[in-house]
Amino acid sequence: MAIRIEKSFRVQQPAERVWAFLSDPRRIVTCVPGAKITEQVDEHNYKGSISVKVGPSVTDYKGEVQILRSDPQAYEIEILGKGSDVRGRGSASVKMQGKLKALDAGHTEVTSISELNIVGILAQMGARVITEVSNIMFGQFTTNLATRLAEPAGPTESAAEAETKPLDAGSLAWQAAKGVFRRES
Amino acid sequence: MTIEKTTPEVGGMGHSLKRKEDSRFIQGKGNYVDDVHLPGMVYGQMVRSPYAHARLKSIDSEKARQLPGVLAVITGEDLAKANLAWMPTLFFDKQMVLATGKVLFQSQEVAFVVAEDQYTAADAAELVEVEYEELPVLVDPHKATAADAPILRDDRDEKSNHIFHWEVGDKGATETAFQSAPVKASVHAISQRCHPAPLETCGCVADFNKATEKLTVYLTSQAPHAHRTLFALVGGIPEQNIRVVSPDIGGGFGNKVPIYPGYVCAVVASLTLGRPVKWIETRSENLQSTGFARDYHMTAEIAADQNGKVKALRVKTLADHGAFNAAAQPTKFPAGLFSVCTGSYDFRSAFCEVDGVYTNKAPGGIAYRCSFRITEAAYLIERAMDVLANQLKMDPAELRRKNYIQPGQFPYKTALGWTYDSGNYEGALNKALEMVSYAQLRKEQEEKRKKGELMGIGISSFTEAVGAGPAHTFDIAGIKMFDSAEIRVHPTGKAICRMGTKSQGQGHETTYAQIVAQELGIPASDVVVEEGDTDTAPYGLGTYASRSTPTSGAATAMAARKIRDKAKKIAAHLLECSEADLEWQNGKFLVKGAPSKSKTIQEIAFAAYTNFPAGLEAGLEAVDYYDPPNLTFPFGTYICVVDIDKGTGEIRVRRFVAVDDCGNVINPMIVQGQIHGGLTEGFAIAFMQLIDYDESGNVQGGSFMDYLIPTAVETPHWETGSTCTPSPHHPFGAKGVGESPNVGSPAAFVNAVVDALSHLGVKHIDMPIAPWKVWTILKEKGVVN
Amino acid sequence: MAKKQTVHLKVNGVQREAEIEPRLLLVHFIREQLGLTGTHVGCDTSNCGACTVVLDGKTVKSCTVFAVQTDGGELLTVEGLMKDGKLHPLQEGFKQEHGLQCGFCTPGMLMSTYALLRKNAHPTEQDIRWGISGNLCRCTGYQNIVKAVQYAAGKLAEGGPQ
Repeated sequence: MAIRIEKSFRVQQPAERVWAFLSDPRRIVTCVPGAKITEQVDEHNYKGSISVKVGPSVTDYKGEVQILRSDPQAYEIEILGKGSDVRGRGSASVKMQGKLKALDAGHTEVTSISELNIVGILAQMGARVITEVSNIMFGQFTTNLATRLAEPAGPTESAAEAETKPLDAGSLAWQAAKGVFRRES
Repeated sequence: MTIEKTTPEVGGMGHSLKRKEDSRFIQGKGNYVDDVHLPGMVYGQMVRSPYAHARLKSIDSEKARQLPGVLAVITGEDLAKANLAWMPTLFFDKQMVLATGKVLFQSQEVAFVVAEDQYTAADAAELVEVEYEELPVLVDPHKATAADAPILRDDRDEKSNHIFHWEVGDKGATETAFQSAPVKASVHAISQRCHPAPLETCGCVADFNKATEKLTVYLTSQAPHAHRTLFALVGGIPEQNIRVVSPDIGGGFGNKVPIYPGYVCAVVASLTLGRPVKWIETRSENLQSTGFARDYHMTAEIAADQNGKVKALRVKTLADHGAFNAAAQPTKFPAGLFSVCTGSYDFRSAFCEVDGVYTNKAPGGIAYRCSFRITEAAYLIERAMDVLANQLKMDPAELRRKNYIQPGQFPYKTALGWTYDSGNYEGALNKALEMVSYAQLRKEQEEKRKKGELMGIGISSFTEAVGAGPAHTFDIAGIKMFDSAEIRVHPTGKAICRMGTKSQGQGHETTYAQIVAQELGIPASDVVVEEGDTDTAPYGLGTYASRSTPTSGAATAMAARKIRDKAKKIAAHLLECSEADLEWQNGKFLVKGAPSKSKTIQEIAFAAYTNFPAGLEAGLEAVDYYDPPNLTFPFGTYICVVDIDKGTGEIRVRRFVAVDDCGNVINPMIVQGQIHGGLTEGFAIAFMQLIDYDESGNVQGGSFMDYLIPTAVETPHWETGSTCTPSPHHPFGAKGVGESPNVGSPAAFVNAVVDALSHLGVKHIDMPIAPWKVWTILKEKGVVN
Repeated sequence: MAKKQTVHLKVNGVQREAEIEPRLLLVHFIREQLGLTGTHVGCDTSNCGACTVVLDGKTVKSCTVFAVQTDGGELLTVEGLMKDGKLHPLQEGFKQEHGLQCGFCTPGMLMSTYALLRKNAHPTEQDIRWGISGNLCRCTGYQNIVKAVQYAAGKLAEGGPQ
């Protein structure tokens, strides 16, 4: 199941600060509940995991994050994340292209294009639900990002305190279901 | 052959007796497989593959085994030690019971967990850790034979996704006819993958008694004897020590004909543990892994003259069988009875070819009231005839009438080799046209078109072939397709019967009793009918493909007649006359010319145990194994009227008239009920059902959230009628009927929708025809803004 | 594993008590622990209605209720429809009008229509079709089920057992 998601949002932070955050997988991961980087293999490759809870069952995805391309001048980054469920429930991969644009008054516009591919039990829910769940996850991500960027503390300390509570896809799914009926443009 | 009706009290043929089996169901006292509870029973649960195509790297069941209450975790590797990791399918292929090496479709069985209770089994299944290595996926059957297609079946010698090529008919004569024909019409029609989804899912309780060495399997089986024999052959268990019991079954529709991995695992677990093992699949498992239906991609071409008289038919079909060829059909027919695709029409020549391929989808193909692929065939020819009618600007009813096989031509040998027993197609057509007030509807349609309103009328005039079948042509896994009945009359004149078929709602406990009532005059209420226990019922091939009345029904009549022959001897003894002096009337033998001298069947039954002539054995019973001389060919005409909402594309079935002819009818009320049910299934297939797979092989439509079953709200009101053209070869002139509505109706629905849009240039729309499809067409044609 | 809880409820007029896991679904409680197998499981997404029972006077899909939620309540299953050995007019109606074939959806249908007739003693055909829209049937096409309910409505109007 291949899904393409295009998002753009604004952060009230200068572009250099946003770039420093978004070009470091260890920092990005602090904005995604249930996710963590477990190892840095080399300059471009990391190993990580994410826990997703649907109802009473928790699915643990283990995989790799790879920085395919990073251009600090143009503020462009391309990241590939791949993982499969440790118990064999399925797999997912996401290729994300991110671009920052400095705006006036120390604001930054972030645009991202993600190609998400899901195989397994979750994919049976269909593109409708997956897209809605992805939208909600993205919303949570941007909220968390704004919070983290506003924190005065150093990025590495934040990473250590990162939440490892699993991502609750059950409530996400409920929100997704509601979202299908209530369109917010 | 006309049937002389008995009194309503006796309840023979033609009477709409209320059903005997209803009493337990309306009290909630049915006995379905999941209702079976045995002492010490434990529960099994499957672990399934999330991937459509992947190497199975490892299975770690340690955490699952450690969970308190878990008794076993069985994997393919374990089964391989007993040579059971693979099992034969019903059609010259094999399928994995539990995966070894790789998995071939999403939801394929990978491991079987056994625990003390269902919830623990579910918890344990979650703890089994499986490592996979994903492989490229093949879901488009058209790409199966491409050079770069991944080869799915490592286990086959031939490294190809092509399963079979089958052809029938006269290719040369058909070619010639096409070359010279002034008119040619063609249609490419997809009979989409769907699923019968009976309300009760599949399951079993396997109970091996270590002390007696007897294995009893309570099983959702439409063919208990065949399953017993297969368990014996494949499992190496002595057949006399296996008892298969199909108790009450909550709907079959072909879904409960194959043997599923869950059954085998439950049996293995029970043999190992010496305890009863229950395995009941969930709805999602049912939709995603058990026998699907259809997935035929078909092209039909008709060659005709300028007046619409058809000359030749050419058909080419691609069949998607999923990962294993598990189609349950007679061995000589890789495409089932698809070659009845010449339908109700007099084609001088025809040629039909079918190619089957493997894909990364659930295995199967034969199910959902299909009469072994006749649903696909009838849909195709009825669509093609409408396309031809549209091309020639002829009324579709008149085009059909012009081309029907005429009553005088029966028995009629079709260009593809079938011998139709009897038919009166125009009779059914005329009745349907009258019931629906056809001429008036066409006028209304004309008026509506002028106003820009969308209304359509669809006709389907189907012939189908049921009652498989004669031993010279029909066998399933080698077992010939006869069927059987055993009748035993008690001293007090009551009777008990057992048959080799197995009802899943068709009312056999009532209808077979009515046959006995008709033949012997014993009131149906005095006749008990049992099916499904292989320890007591005579061997039969089960109930599917509308075969029960044509085979076991016939056997019942023949067994009853054997009883009547013996009864005559006893009557002659009692009345002190010769058999030649006796005649049979209304349940008794009377002396010709002296009708007051008579003995009822009840008196004769008593005498069979108390006062029988010397040299004659006691008792009054008979068994008959019936080998039908031919299939039977029920037929009918269905007419559907639809109104389409221009703004939303929503289709409303305004009327649906169904005229069926199944020869002599046993119980009109039960036949009508079957028609209602089948039409509802046809409605679902035409408008809302699809099991689809995305490019990664993820199942879409794997639960009732997405796989739609019509509710009472959208199901139309069905108007039924009948004509009666008995089968000349059947003991009481009956034909089967259960599947006719599913065979005939999808084309009626689709023809109606296409007819509603034909003035806009629409020639065909593939099923399921959901409102968005119609809306898209209306937008393209500029009807909607 | 969560601690077991005690649940007290009246089932078909009889007071019952049991110690159960909080996650035990009502349908499993009914079928396995109470031994009342008339209520059936037909799906795993709350769509089919084969598990329909009447809880505190309202129909519920017992596959989507936890047994612990019924504490202090009153449950009516298909086994409780007969009174003094006499069939409820609905049960009679299903037999008279051939409203069942395989029988699997029948208990759920009976419970839904039982509740329907208590709310609306003179339902139209549309009322009946909407009333059973939460109950799937694969065999009958619903037409005779509608007739069965009309039969029962007629009998009840004449003054049959409620």
